[in-house]
Amino acid sequence: MKTINSEHHLDLTQVDEKVYSTLNLGPTHPATHGIFQNVLTMNGETIVGAEQTIGYIHRAFEKIAERRPYYQITTLTDRLNYCSSPINNIGWHLAVEKLLGVETNKRVDYMRIIVMELARIADHLVCNSVIGVDSGALTGFVYVFEEREAIYEIYEELCGARLTTNLGRVGGFDRDFSPLAIQKIRTLMKRLPKILHEFENLLMRNRIFMDRTVNVGGISAERALNYGFSGPNLRATGIDYDVRVQEPYSSYNDFDFIVPVGENGDIYDRFCVRQTEMWESIKMINTALENLPEGKFCTEVPAFFLPPKEDVYSKMEPLISHFKMVMGEIDVPEKEIYSAVEAGNGELGFYLVADGGRTPYRLHFRRPGFIYYQAFPEIIEGASLSDAILTMSSMNVIAGELDA
Amino acid sequence: MSENKDKTYTVVDAPEGYSAPGFFATTLDKAVGLARKNSLWPLPFATSCCGIEFMATMGAHYDLGRFGAERLSFSPRQADLLMVMGTIAKKMAPVVQQVYEQMAEPRWVIAVGACASSGGVFDTYSVLQGIDKVVPVDVYVPGCPPRPEQIIDGFMKIQELVGNEPLRRRYSAEYKELLESYGIKIDR
Amino acid sequence: MENSILLQELKSKFEKSILSVDETADILTVTVAADSIKPIVAFLKNDQDFIYLTDLCGIHYPELEKELGVIYHLHNLVANKRIRLKAFVTKANPQIDSLVSLFSAANWMERETFDFYGIDFVGHPNLIRILNVEYMDYHPMRKEYPLEDATRSDKDDSFFGR
Repeated sequence: MKTINSEHHLDLTQVDEKVYSTLNLGPTHPATHGIFQNVLTMNGETIVGAEQTIGYIHRAFEKIAERRPYYQITTLTDRLNYCSSPINNIGWHLAVEKLLGVETNKRVDYMRIIVMELARIADHLVCNSVIGVDSGALTGFVYVFEEREAIYEIYEELCGARLTTNLGRVGGFDRDFSPLAIQKIRTLMKRLPKILHEFENLLMRNRIFMDRTVNVGGISAERALNYGFSGPNLRATGIDYDVRVQEPYSSYNDFDFIVPVGENGDIYDRFCVRQTEMWESIKMINTALENLPEGKFCTEVPAFFLPPKEDVYSKMEPLISHFKMVMGEIDVPEKEIYSAVEAGNGELGFYLVADGGRTPYRLHFRRPGFIYYQAFPEIIEGASLSDAILTMSSMNVIAGELDA
Repeated sequence: MSENKDKTYTVVDAPEGYSAPGFFATTLDKAVGLARKNSLWPLPFATSCCGIEFMATMGAHYDLGRFGAERLSFSPRQADLLMVMGTIAKKMAPVVQQVYEQMAEPRWVIAVGACASSGGVFDTYSVLQGIDKVVPVDVYVPGCPPRPEQIIDGFMKIQELVGNEPLRRRYSAEYKELLESYGIKIDR
Repeated sequence: MENSILLQELKSKFEKSILSVDETADILTVTVAADSIKPIVAFLKNDQDFIYLTDLCGIHYPELEKELGVIYHLHNLVANKRIRLKAFVTKANPQIDSLVSLFSAANWMERETFDFYGIDFVGHPNLIRILNVEYMDYHPMRKEYPLEDATRSDKDDSFFGR
């Protein structure tokens, strides 16, 4: 920028000095899909640096968890990554089961896989369609949201809630899948492939979409590992780390599925990895439904599993265990565990320290979004502003999970 | 198809007034209210889970556009209705107030969800216990998160308020006092 | 990768720094002296392929002499082996080396731990609060502080049995 000195002569010493402008993106910016603040230093349209501020919806989950009995913490996990709450719920149940040393039966495991994979589809549908929106294609978003609505209807049939599901209990589920629920899942699994094909036809080989996403917002595998990336974002860089394979939980080792990986770690690879994962999820749900083992929908964990209501009203033992559980008078072993599940956007870990009391002594959530979002300034350095918006939506950062 | 032919559809109900062939007379309040309530421009201030349900409300299935509110205004300057959806932490509270101050009169506020209404389950050191600590609220929608139907119900309650609001209300001393109690500047 | 081999390697290098070992936990847990955390993590990362910092968080035991702890979870993705490291510091001198130069991921995790527990990570490039408001004058996850907002006046505690 040229500046003029007091004598109105061009000051040649300052001609080459760059003047950067500052752009405040957020915390309530319509393009950021959540409460994120980035103060960008811009050189024209190019980003030179970014400073992130987070914590705008910090709700002190970890402090609350130290004051709540184990079964009440399920409601907190709902509100972490609210695009795929059932995975968080079941992840927490698995953590408590690991603490108690409870083995679930195969039917519970398969039911859980069905629910978790449905949630993964819902999560990826939101993320991928939002990538479409940010690159200018609103159609796909409106179109696939109908299918997400269908998944919500299945949740409703399973547990009564749409979004914050509080689904399942420690040791299994509170009730069996109803015939209507199974029918709804079957119908969706028949319809979804067609919708996904149409969605992919719309975007995957679309010239505009590819120009906007290929080689944009990329990160190398080495840097991604150093930044603690996980989930589709890490797999897009070519690292095949998936908790479902590395440390199989809930009988995932019974299933044959592909872990898709990308090459460049750019937006397009993230999109494709999520898209392929949805196809794998559909296969897994179909296999699980066909081979749904006989058995009970729950494991008896007397201290944690609420007995059936009719028994509570008519028998002594169930009444006592019901009372003990609700009042939190339960015995847990004194130990510490780390349990992880593959959530919609990465490795969701629960580090749980139990001191034998009614509440956890310490519970730390390893939130994947919180850990990989800090790489955002490095990724967008040198990119243009519109690419930065697209990069952010492709990283699938959920504000609730970010701020805990 | 044939049975639908006899059905008459009214886009909006006419307010009370006098009509005869060729003319219709009503009060200015009601005519303006009718126009305002059917073309509200909401500003979605979505922070967490309730925002996702709002996305469903805006989607094809529930379609808030049927109520004249499909035009979302992400700029507070052109918005009529501030929809606060989700937890508002203490760090966020000044931002909510600033957004409210930037909106032009007349403006309405709807607190969607338990967190925006009262802090919800998060009775903690970091969460604002209801947005009515920083801005005046017209309608509260309970639920964690509320279903899209509930959000629409809350929106219809707002429409009722908007339709029946006297034009002088925003100039009254009571209103000025209300805003001053929140420490909100009045530009007029 | 066997626990015993890994422990042998660690003990031969850092004999004085390893305070205790717990092999009964779900993950091999090693408590180390706070002043040697960085060389130990560097050794694990460079020589033992623990290239992935899964998690870093704080903990508070008011009854211990060294009240505040930092817990690290490292992951060797090739051998699929996790290790948990613990280091404890006193409340008066909560200094521990920052791992940002080894793992970029540690940046925000350390800021969060500082925000919650007030642990001072020496060498951190930007150790400021991350989740809470800047003017907060205490570290809320320490056990002595209440969950609820202390300034709240609209709640009658007698209804809640407090």
